[in-house]
Amino acid sequence: MTRRGVIALVALVTAGSAAGGYAVRRWWMSAAADASDKRIRADAIFAARLANLSGGTEALEQWRGRVLVVNFWATWCAPCREEIPLFIQMQKHYGARGLQFVGVAIDQREPVAAFQREFGMNYPVLLGGLEAMELMRSTGNRMGVLPYTLVIDRAGRVASSKLGGLKEDQLERLILRLL
Amino acid sequence: MRLLLILLLAVSSFVHAAEPELLEPQKAFQFAARLQDARSIEVTYRIAPGYYLYRDKFRFSAAPAQVKLGEPQIPPGKRKRDEFFGEVETHRGDLRIVVPFEADGAGLPALTLTAVSQGCADVGVCYTPQEQTAELMLASFARPPAQGDAAAQLFGTQPPVSDSKVTALFASGFWLVVASFFGFGLLLSFTPCVLPMVPILSGIIVGGGAHITKMRGFLLAAVYVLGMAVTYAIAGVAAGLSGAMLAAVLQNPWVVGAFAAVFVALALAMFGLYELQLPVALQSKLAEASGRVKGGHAAGVFVIGVLSALIVGPCVAAPLAGALLYISQSHDVVLGGSALFAMALGMGVPLLVIGASAGALLPKVGPWMETVKRFFGVLLLGVAIYLVSPFIPATVHLLAWGTLLIVTAVFLHAIDPLPVHAHGFQKFSKGVGIIALVAGIAFLIGALSGSRDVLQPLSGLRLGASEPGAPSFKRVGNIAELDSRIQAASGRPVMLDFYADWCVTCKEMERFTFSDPGVQARMAQMLLLQADVTASAPEHLALLKRFRLFGPPGIIFFDRSGREIDGLRVIGFQPAEEFAAVLDRALALR
Repeated sequence: MTRRGVIALVALVTAGSAAGGYAVRRWWMSAAADASDKRIRADAIFAARLANLSGGTEALEQWRGRVLVVNFWATWCAPCREEIPLFIQMQKHYGARGLQFVGVAIDQREPVAAFQREFGMNYPVLLGGLEAMELMRSTGNRMGVLPYTLVIDRAGRVASSKLGGLKEDQLERLILRLL
Repeated sequence: MRLLLILLLAVSSFVHAAEPELLEPQKAFQFAARLQDARSIEVTYRIAPGYYLYRDKFRFSAAPAQVKLGEPQIPPGKRKRDEFFGEVETHRGDLRIVVPFEADGAGLPALTLTAVSQGCADVGVCYTPQEQTAELMLASFARPPAQGDAAAQLFGTQPPVSDSKVTALFASGFWLVVASFFGFGLLLSFTPCVLPMVPILSGIIVGGGAHITKMRGFLLAAVYVLGMAVTYAIAGVAAGLSGAMLAAVLQNPWVVGAFAAVFVALALAMFGLYELQLPVALQSKLAEASGRVKGGHAAGVFVIGVLSALIVGPCVAAPLAGALLYISQSHDVVLGGSALFAMALGMGVPLLVIGASAGALLPKVGPWMETVKRFFGVLLLGVAIYLVSPFIPATVHLLAWGTLLIVTAVFLHAIDPLPVHAHGFQKFSKGVGIIALVAGIAFLIGALSGSRDVLQPLSGLRLGASEPGAPSFKRVGNIAELDSRIQAASGRPVMLDFYADWCVTCKEMERFTFSDPGVQARMAQMLLLQADVTASAPEHLALLKRFRLFGPPGIIFFDRSGREIDGLRVIGFQPAEEFAAVLDRALALR
């Protein structure tokens, strides 16, 4: 193979695999476009009313205007639990600048309450049933997996959505530009 | 160099791996349930590599309320430290859970099991609780499972739809099975399937000559039926052993064409063009050999019986399929063969009656015998046209019918003036002749005006008449295509129709059932797939084998998550009303 041929081949493979990877990513993220001007409105999220741990219901509408991070999770889901200390820490740091975490647990009340106490969760935790699963589906989580995190900007649009656990640097990158 | 390439590939595939590639939960945790015996259900999960289920999160419930589930027996899982819950047990790979149950009140036909499971993937996500249901039929366990446990299990989870009516029978004793099949054959004899045999047999008997007696007619019919029955038994066993596509082979255009040619030859003999007789030397030889059945006819009649069974067989493919399925899976060749033999005997009973009565009804000698012979000649030609109809263009088909009817009409003196003092029979014959003439003309006009429907030859002339919109099937040619279509069904139930050009039942379904507005409305809510297996290519056979089918017809349903709905298959013709009910069941499943 000539040197030029090798370069062409490498370039082709790179371009091809990058395009393929991008296509896969677009497919996964189909519901949550990443470009800011294409953000979809999070009306369904704000319209939801979910049970809180003390037996009442709360509307997510109350947090409109803040940078809202909605985290779907469950106590039995180990990857979900791993990122919660990070959320607690971020809430402490950036809460004053308008950041608000809300946890939606697809779970039973008792283990969630116990978990909240034990880990000292400093942000509201609501309980989600079927309607919460529907929320996940309608915002792009086709298979209803946990953890699932939505970041909603101050204008009430979905800025990003994430299936699976978040690392500190990832989360900061997603949030800081919105604050 | 190669290393660089691999590195590049690896890097570029990881660049976008931020979002984990996940299986659909139904694929990650493949659920199945079946009855293990009369008091326990076996639930299996096939867990994909890299996925696991929590042992303490399974929940089972059953409907209706009379069904009480016991403590599920879940094997111990792999222990894992969990900082919040302490120790948790998880399962990977294949998991088998036994759920005991008790049903209050006998005669409960079915129960619905709902299983909830929770699991995660190693890439760091968990699935929300998955709810899956299975409908299990209890009917086959009404009595303690007799013989053939495998068969009972095989068919235990199928609701009584079409094919399972037959297969359910096999759970009981040998003679009961044989007797049931005899009765079943008797019922079949009232279907149009056996009708082509009547003119064949009558043709043989009437063509046998004027010296026919009751006994002789009966014996000829008996030999004919025996030939048919032996063929069914042999063909059934052979198909069971080979798993081959029986109907396809026997509906080969050349085989059918040859048989049609035999019919035409027979018809010409009926019209008196020649005398149908074996050479005298051979005749006498056969007469010596065949003892009581005179004339050396018996062997010939037997052979015609064999051939008739082969040709008519696919018409009764629906009940046959159930029996063949059983034979091929149980390898109980004796029982299967006996059952099919009994069924064919049952089908032959009316033929025996015809045989006996034909001898009885015939007067000693009479000129009208010629008329009867011609009548059978016409019927034989009709059968020949019917047989080759799947292989000839519709226009030719219509032309053939038209020609046959018009020529018949002319022979019936339809266009000759009646004598002044015509007696009743002549008037009647002229009336029949005119009907045949008009029908024949209709067929001719139909053929020339481009109609393609034999049952409505003039439909092409209807102005502005809207054809019933044929449901639009997507074609699938192999298993991979089928799987990808089912995956892309996006939550719709899927209906898979096995079709072949030579499959008469398929065409009947198209014409009479799929055209019904109620059926169409329901079908519109499904993804419609059709596998055209006319060519019998290896990938077609693989498709059929996957669904344990021997050939079309066969309609398989898949639920919204792409799994086959157990037992809800339709094999054979179903009228619109019944079929709509089946569709409703497929649509009702979530």
